[in-house]
Amino acid sequence: MAASAVTAVRGSSGLLLGVRSVVLRLPGLTQVRWSRYGPQYQDPQIDKGYYRKPLAALTEEEKYERELRKTQVIKAAPATRTSSVFEDPVISKFTNMMMKGGNKILARSLMTQTLEAVKRKQFEKYHAASAEEQATIECNPYTIFHQALKNCEPVIGLVSILRGGHFYQVPVPLADRRRRFLAMKWMITECRQKKHRRTLMPEKLSQELLEAFHSQGPVIRRKHDMHKMAEANRALAHYRWW
Amino acid sequence: MLKGMTRLISRVHKAKHGEQHEGQHYNISFQDLKTVFSHGLPPRFVMQVKTFNEACLMVRRPALELLHYLKNTNFAHPAVRYVFYGEKGTGKTLSLCHSIHFCAKQDWLILHIPDAHLWVKNCRDLLQSTYNKQRFDQPLEASTWLKNFKTANEHFLSQIKVQEKYVWNKRESTEKGSPLGEVVEQGIMRVRNATDAVGIVLKELKRQSSLGIFRLLVAVDGVNALWGRTTLKREDKSPIAPEELAFIYNLRKMVKNDWQGGAIVLTVSQTGSLFKPRKAYLPQELLGKEGFDALDPFIPILVSNYNPKEFESCIHYYLENNWLQHEKAHTEEGKKELLFLSNRNPGQLERLCAYL
Repeated sequence: MAASAVTAVRGSSGLLLGVRSVVLRLPGLTQVRWSRYGPQYQDPQIDKGYYRKPLAALTEEEKYERELRKTQVIKAAPATRTSSVFEDPVISKFTNMMMKGGNKILARSLMTQTLEAVKRKQFEKYHAASAEEQATIECNPYTIFHQALKNCEPVIGLVSILRGGHFYQVPVPLADRRRRFLAMKWMITECRQKKHRRTLMPEKLSQELLEAFHSQGPVIRRKHDMHKMAEANRALAHYRWW
Repeated sequence: MLKGMTRLISRVHKAKHGEQHEGQHYNISFQDLKTVFSHGLPPRFVMQVKTFNEACLMVRRPALELLHYLKNTNFAHPAVRYVFYGEKGTGKTLSLCHSIHFCAKQDWLILHIPDAHLWVKNCRDLLQSTYNKQRFDQPLEASTWLKNFKTANEHFLSQIKVQEKYVWNKRESTEKGSPLGEVVEQGIMRVRNATDAVGIVLKELKRQSSLGIFRLLVAVDGVNALWGRTTLKREDKSPIAPEELAFIYNLRKMVKNDWQGGAIVLTVSQTGSLFKPRKAYLPQELLGKEGFDALDPFIPILVSNYNPKEFESCIHYYLENNWLQHEKAHTEEGKKELLFLSNRNPGQLERLCAYL
């Protein structure tokens, strides 16, 4: 019944049918595997500034673009994307990865508690430090978060390739999004599995983030291990065909 | 709009706080924190004090009103009861702490129960009271409270003398005329008699405050716990009513207005209360019929959300301490968003700014 409702929606968009069963591999269009939207659906424009511009201030291209958008079909904006000034896509992605069983409220509260814990720890260090050191201590939890994840991103990754009945770990360049995903995944698994059962997630995460910010700690070590394995297996690099 | 003048450098008497200081912050010295506020500050405020290395309270209208009444009390008349009420997070406990600090600076004796709700729930060890077989004792809570009471009022304990002889057990007793400090020591050392020691302290203070040697301020946070229900049970799983707890029984006598020479400042709060709906904030709803009749007549003081001036002042205070680290928080857009998200509620604003 749900499937017929979906096909009805697809059929109602007029001549341009959002058919996803025929896979259109158009160059330049990245496709998401499970998205029910066809390629002609445009992303929603969330930015408040775009809509608040007075008509007189628009250039010719912008006026054309607005007229064009009136004819296009637009995807629904997800509930997580807001027009808040404090919104951060990296934080949202990390929160989603921490979420278990759809409990976004809990995941988000853990995230905010982590940021608060990071901030309080840095403030303590700031007040305890001398005047010269105070200039070097970073108190903004968002910069620490971004820098820590950037430090954890591997440059090169390993992929299992089947050749002659055996699987070989072949070094392969990683796309940006894969790197970001791996950094976040390692951070979360490290906090969940390697720490004592009774410590709370914000405490563990804040400690790990601060260590990664200073390029120390277990997540950075895992990244280096990955690099070393890739270096060790560099003879197998010609198994890669893309 | 006060720009740049959010700090009051008044280390002097809080008696100088007037209408023009509304919205500004004033500092509490670490000495006062250790003695007067060893218990009683909300936990998030304690965290903020630790992070900023300073304790700053905002001067707000409800507290100013109460200070005005306290300054003009007639100590010959029976003690007046003032009740702070308001929605969650509006600042009732901190207004109470402001008035306690004022009275401590004016050298009153402070009887501060930080949260009455803690006494009616989650008690591990309930002993049958030695004094009265029908009632129950709570040794742990009573001894911690006595310790905090001692640190708050050191200098009074040697001046006030008990007016009766109290026998603790076969070997120990306190003679008539010995200082109150001895009773407190006895309660701290012999944990079994701690609740009785608390009862004695309350009785003596009530009796002697009418004589005029000292002025007594009774401050109870969450007074609706005294007349609600408890979650404590006897061994046979039957529920215990609040009056069967010796501490609550004595405290109810304390908040009755049949003594002179001081004032009673109370707060009703839903957070921590038992079996009360979340949206209830009016005294009638939270106290119930019994409590309201017992406290009637009292002066209710509404504590509401920040007005725009106070909100600006609070944001300014956070900016001065570099607490708002997010780049967008400094902009007008960010401030408007904080205003919208918190609805000018002090508690909500504090939680929002903690992670921004």
